[in-house]
Amino acid sequence: MDRRSFLTYNAAAAAVPLTGMALTGLSRAAVAASRPAPIDFKSNLPAAGTFPDRWICGSPSCMDNTDPPVQVHWYNPHTAILRQNKAYSYEAPFAPLYFGNERVLLLDEGFVQLRNDWDLRGVVDQCIEDWCRRNGRDPASLELLVAFSHLHADHYAATNQFADRPNTRYMGLTHEEFVGFWGMTNFPEERVTLDLGGRDILIWGSPGHVVSELAYYDSYSQILYTGDMFYRGRCYITFWEPWFESMKRLIAFCDTHPVTHVMGCHVEISKDGQDYPYGLTWQPDEAPVQMTVQQLREAYAYAQTITEPGIYFTGTVFLCNQTRGTTTIDRNPYRYT
Amino acid sequence: MAQSSTRGTGFSSTSQAATGRAYPNGNPALGYNPPGVRNTDSAVPLHRSKPVTHDYACEGPAPGSLSFRWTYGSNVAAKNRDPRVQVVQYNEDTFVLRQNVCVHWEAPFTYLLFGNEGALLIDTGATANAAHYPLRETVDAIIARWSRARGRSKVPLTVALTSGEDVAQNQGLVQFADRPGTTIVPKPLAAMQRAYGLTNWPAGTGRLDLGGRVIEVIPTPGTHRDGVTFYDPYCDFLFTGDLLFPGKINIGNDGDFVASLERLQTFASAHPVKWLLGGHVEMMFVPGKYYPRFATYKPYERVLEMTPDLIGDALRHAREVRGKDMMLIRPDFVLFNGVSPDQRTPVWPEGVPNINPPRPF
Repeated sequence: MDRRSFLTYNAAAAAVPLTGMALTGLSRAAVAASRPAPIDFKSNLPAAGTFPDRWICGSPSCMDNTDPPVQVHWYNPHTAILRQNKAYSYEAPFAPLYFGNERVLLLDEGFVQLRNDWDLRGVVDQCIEDWCRRNGRDPASLELLVAFSHLHADHYAATNQFADRPNTRYMGLTHEEFVGFWGMTNFPEERVTLDLGGRDILIWGSPGHVVSELAYYDSYSQILYTGDMFYRGRCYITFWEPWFESMKRLIAFCDTHPVTHVMGCHVEISKDGQDYPYGLTWQPDEAPVQMTVQQLREAYAYAQTITEPGIYFTGTVFLCNQTRGTTTIDRNPYRYT
Repeated sequence: MAQSSTRGTGFSSTSQAATGRAYPNGNPALGYNPPGVRNTDSAVPLHRSKPVTHDYACEGPAPGSLSFRWTYGSNVAAKNRDPRVQVVQYNEDTFVLRQNVCVHWEAPFTYLLFGNEGALLIDTGATANAAHYPLRETVDAIIARWSRARGRSKVPLTVALTSGEDVAQNQGLVQFADRPGTTIVPKPLAAMQRAYGLTNWPAGTGRLDLGGRVIEVIPTPGTHRDGVTFYDPYCDFLFTGDLLFPGKINIGNDGDFVASLERLQTFASAHPVKWLLGGHVEMMFVPGKYYPRFATYKPYERVLEMTPDLIGDALRHAREVRGKDMMLIRPDFVLFNGVSPDQRTPVWPEGVPNINPPRPF
């Protein structure tokens, strides 16, 4: 018996002898009457949504930062996008939270581990509670899936905060668990469908930044979430061939599916294309996180011309082909002759 | 001072010792200081009737202590509650100030020196906003306290920079703009040279007389075109700023850098030098390892002070990188010449133990 059925079993067993059949039947009817109709995630697509004009993006003095540890932006009533505060970690990744009739999918976290340092769990619980209140649901009835785009600590560090959360499943931290979580047998080509309850998430492999990386497509908002493999900043390409194949898969997907936005995990670039060096905690003029399919296609076209390791700017992103982890195009500003 | 008089008297027993030979409150027959110790008497008499004049001439370096751990930020920078300006008093007339790492990742050091006729503030920190970095307020408080102790009503302040162009050191300057009784050494190179009387830049030295404590100004361009080093003959310190410090030294011009180190070495061989105090600490306490840029949590920092023999080490390796775009790791500093400040290298210096420092998370 798994944890979930154990919990339901206990509740049912306790309810029957105490209340009797008649009462149980009555309460069942009452529950059925008050249960709202399932939300329709399949028509009027893509679901409209907005990104903020400006995300919270750090402060000149970190210790004077009074912003919340996690910025919660509701893209639309059924999609929240979370972002870690730059003063909590310079990585400040974005984390979409997709709601369905039966389950909720949290993608990625942030680069701080402990709940008393930043309460990601509390924020996610609050989002789920808000959504349930708006839609007349019981938060306990929703399953939470804690997943991430790839196996880097800035995307899974806070996983343990969810360890004791009821009705929650989270990804393991090995490639096998990672792939097995979505039931993939042919990584990276295989595309699987996750049903959140009327809302389909398409998931397939997109290695290149690391081996274990996934792309997530939400059929409701039609946002294509590309993780660290393609984002508005320095795409650190560790393995060129797999990355290029992943780009091909993304382009092929965009050819056959409608995509409203391409979204990555970080922003490391200013509106005018200036590079924010690795580790910066104050990005006052940062570019939006969302990109268009056109920008993805341009990057792919540019990538086709790349034959050597190095840093290339496609107009949207920096492609850091097999350069080491924190390499930037930054220079010493005090050079003189 | 009486408290310390039991030190070195040969007794380690407590005041409860049955022999009655221990002097828990100090043996009145002994002097105030253990034999052989100099310069530890307070310059401040108990009952003074006129301003105290201190004799800054002494044999050897004036004693003092930096044995206090620097604040090192926190894993979650937003939650840091350390002082914004950490003040460490090296001795009665010498203060070392450090900016909190979580206010600015550069966490520069600022030095405040006192003489009989004035005070000198070397460098001003990386943050202009006084609400985030109250340097002026802190310096004012130190000066007020010092002048009360010395019975002085006026302490003229000179604010000087190890480099006028360095944004990690010149940002706090605006806080002193309207301060009465304050001389600010101008930032532009030519004006700065005039202010110090360095007509033959980069040769020669300038002087800043604080009253009995004459600070020498040595032109040391190399990391910055307007870099200078200050020499304090009282504590025997060289305040080298960005030229030589335990961290990632980004060379601005390798020719100047080598020449400045040569000048510094010549100077150090002609004058007693106890320590080099730089503008930052970026190295860890294991040799050759350093914190990345923008780090706001540096719990395993190397100490600030460098011994003068490191000038020779730096010079040797500065010659090695001259004319090449490369970085070079040394146990106590790293040289970056013509490469990105985030450059990394697989080359590890020979004979230096490669120890993996603990990784906080």
